[in-house]
Amino acid sequence: MKRRIAVAATLAATLIGAAACGSNSDSSDTPNAAASVNGAGKTIKVWLMVDAQSGWPEVVKQANERFTQATGAQVQVDYQQWTDHLAKLDTTLAGNDVPDVVELGNTEMPKYVFNQAFAPLDKGQFENSAQWLTGLSAPCELDGKTYCVPYYAGARVLGYRTDLFEKAGLAAPKTYEDVINAAKVLKEKNGSDKQFSAFHMPGKYWYAGMAWVHGNGGTIAKKDGDKWVGTLSEPGAQAGLTKWAELAKTFYSGDPTKDENDQAAIFSQGKTGMMYGNGWELGAAQEQPKDPNNPAGDKVKTKVNGKVTGVAMPGIPSFLGGSNVAVTAKSKNADLAAKWAQIFTDTKSQEALIAKGALPNATNLLDKAAAVKGNEATAQAAKETWFVPMAPKWSDVESANVLQNMLVSIASGKATVPDAAKEADTKINEILNAS
Amino acid sequence: MSVVDSPSAPPAEQPPAEAPTGGRARRQRRSATSGGFAPLVLTLPALLLLAGLLGYPLVRMAVLSFQSLGLRQLFGNLPPDNVGFDNYVKIFTDRTFYEVVARTVAFTVVSVVLTVVLGLGVALLMRRVAPSVRIAMIVAMMFVWAMPQLVATQTFRWLVDSDFGVLNYLIDLLPGVDFANHSWFADPWQGWTVITTIVVWAGIPFIAITLNAGLTQVPKELLEAAVVDGASVWQALLKVTLPILKPLLIIVTTLSVIWNFGLFTQVWVVRNGRPEEEYQVLATWSYSTAFNNNNYGLGSAIAVVTVLLLLSVMAFYMRQMFKIGDVD
Repeated sequence: MKRRIAVAATLAATLIGAAACGSNSDSSDTPNAAASVNGAGKTIKVWLMVDAQSGWPEVVKQANERFTQATGAQVQVDYQQWTDHLAKLDTTLAGNDVPDVVELGNTEMPKYVFNQAFAPLDKGQFENSAQWLTGLSAPCELDGKTYCVPYYAGARVLGYRTDLFEKAGLAAPKTYEDVINAAKVLKEKNGSDKQFSAFHMPGKYWYAGMAWVHGNGGTIAKKDGDKWVGTLSEPGAQAGLTKWAELAKTFYSGDPTKDENDQAAIFSQGKTGMMYGNGWELGAAQEQPKDPNNPAGDKVKTKVNGKVTGVAMPGIPSFLGGSNVAVTAKSKNADLAAKWAQIFTDTKSQEALIAKGALPNATNLLDKAAAVKGNEATAQAAKETWFVPMAPKWSDVESANVLQNMLVSIASGKATVPDAAKEADTKINEILNAS
Repeated sequence: MSVVDSPSAPPAEQPPAEAPTGGRARRQRRSATSGGFAPLVLTLPALLLLAGLLGYPLVRMAVLSFQSLGLRQLFGNLPPDNVGFDNYVKIFTDRTFYEVVARTVAFTVVSVVLTVVLGLGVALLMRRVAPSVRIAMIVAMMFVWAMPQLVATQTFRWLVDSDFGVLNYLIDLLPGVDFANHSWFADPWQGWTVITTIVVWAGIPFIAITLNAGLTQVPKELLEAAVVDGASVWQALLKVTLPILKPLLIIVTTLSVIWNFGLFTQVWVVRNGRPEEEYQVLATWSYSTAFNNNNYGLGSAIAVVTVLLLLSVMAFYMRQMFKIGDVD
């Protein structure tokens, strides 16, 4: 009872907020990053995800300093958690006191662009915009307008324990068969430990499951006329899912219902041979902050420190993850916000990001990234990527956990690959075509 | 929460109950003739507060359940479309709804029976132990009671974690048992066992302490007389203690039904904010629909249906409350 009322109250608060702000000026005007606004005394509010706080606080700092120098305005950065940031954003955007700049994951973007949460931007005002990675910039585009700016990219690679590979006489895998063979050998040599996983592959890891689908010629959904059709039951996708399931079932000894969020921590325990993860996760597996509440503080080395390396996963294209920043449609400082986005994504900021092990937002910067030690594998992986279907309702498929649930039922043996895929297709059709 | 005070009331057949009732009636008559609107004015602040905090959201929720409200309306400050009974038709034609209701009801029955039986057991035990032990029990239970659900559930989630959990570690120490990396949530029966355990664990203190208070009102003479007449312990419990406790038992059971029917936090936390289908109950389903899928109208309609489903239980509870009030 109490909870239901709480939900209702939240909802009501949302509605009151929506009613209170009445008719906001329709901001069909494109915010102008080049406008010379005197921002003295003004403060823009920026919502960034925690990755910036833990991974590259210096990048944010230098951008803010340059922004303040150029405009005189201050920046207030609020860091958000991935788990609840969308629900928070929805309720905030319904009100009047909104952040001026918001970071969203690239797969989350289409829904907000489609629902007019963000202001259109003048693409030409942003550096390297002609070379933006399409996996990042495509979700920003709608009807010929650009609603967000690529911020950084991430690609997933195969991480493995060099010491275990050496002991078993294995070389760096060059083909998918090499990977499977290495997993077999590692399992044979270390399998007496029940907790040992030759390949860490939790069931809810849909960025991996879908990478296997794309690596075998499949896709998640396609547009047929004006309808979207789930395509996981088609032969390519089936082959990919079957291969993924074989790997997960044979070489992963952990909980099939888990997601990938704690995989770096698990890998750092030293009981895993290989994993499929982001470049920074390989780093996180080897070094953890001493105080979890102070990610920028001193680091401690884990058991596997110096024994991990990454290569582009052979035969499996990487999901091109990443983030974009956008100026909210209700922002009262839209010009300043656009200016901040411009500085935050320019070549100078991107170079600072590259130094921190993230991938840049444009192809012309990728080679620079590849030259940074530790980035070689991810920069290589970023050259062959896949992306989710560009349907306005796509993020509903994500938040309804359709793919996660399908993969879990396959990995835990509850359903066969064809049955699970058929059910997922039905749900995808329903969600993507919902009015 | 007047229930907590009520144990002093029950010994239902006590005669002195008559006098105060008469007194109150007289007072009421007096005030009705002389005071005019005074009583109404005095209750007004409380009523306004209730209307604002409980009434308004409830009405909004009901209205919203007949509308279609999505992100575009929310962001653009557009009025929602009225869709009549569309949301309700969607719910009642959805197979998921019936599964979720059946799951919620099954969970409620199992968890309430367990909580009440175990709570009664603890309460009876408290009558038997030394006072110092009783105080220790009460303190321990107060801690359980005072702990926020979120914190407790988070802790349990760590205990049963497949990779880092201490439960798997301990079970695995038993010879011949392989529980390394055992998943407690792959099999929904095991997962629901964990969730039920958390809910029952958190529910026992309230029931045990309330029933313990009630047990102090069971006249010793009656029990002694029963024992002298040759009744066994079981007979004394069933024929003497429980009938006296009955009104109180009914109230704590009804309250538990209302609380457990709205199960949310435990499921939400142990499933990491993304409950699989076999873990959805009415409250989580409503929330997921409204806030994850941004279908606020449909989410409200589910919430309204949940309220309606609970209405009979609540009516029963209200009647019991008034009954006790009458006796008082």
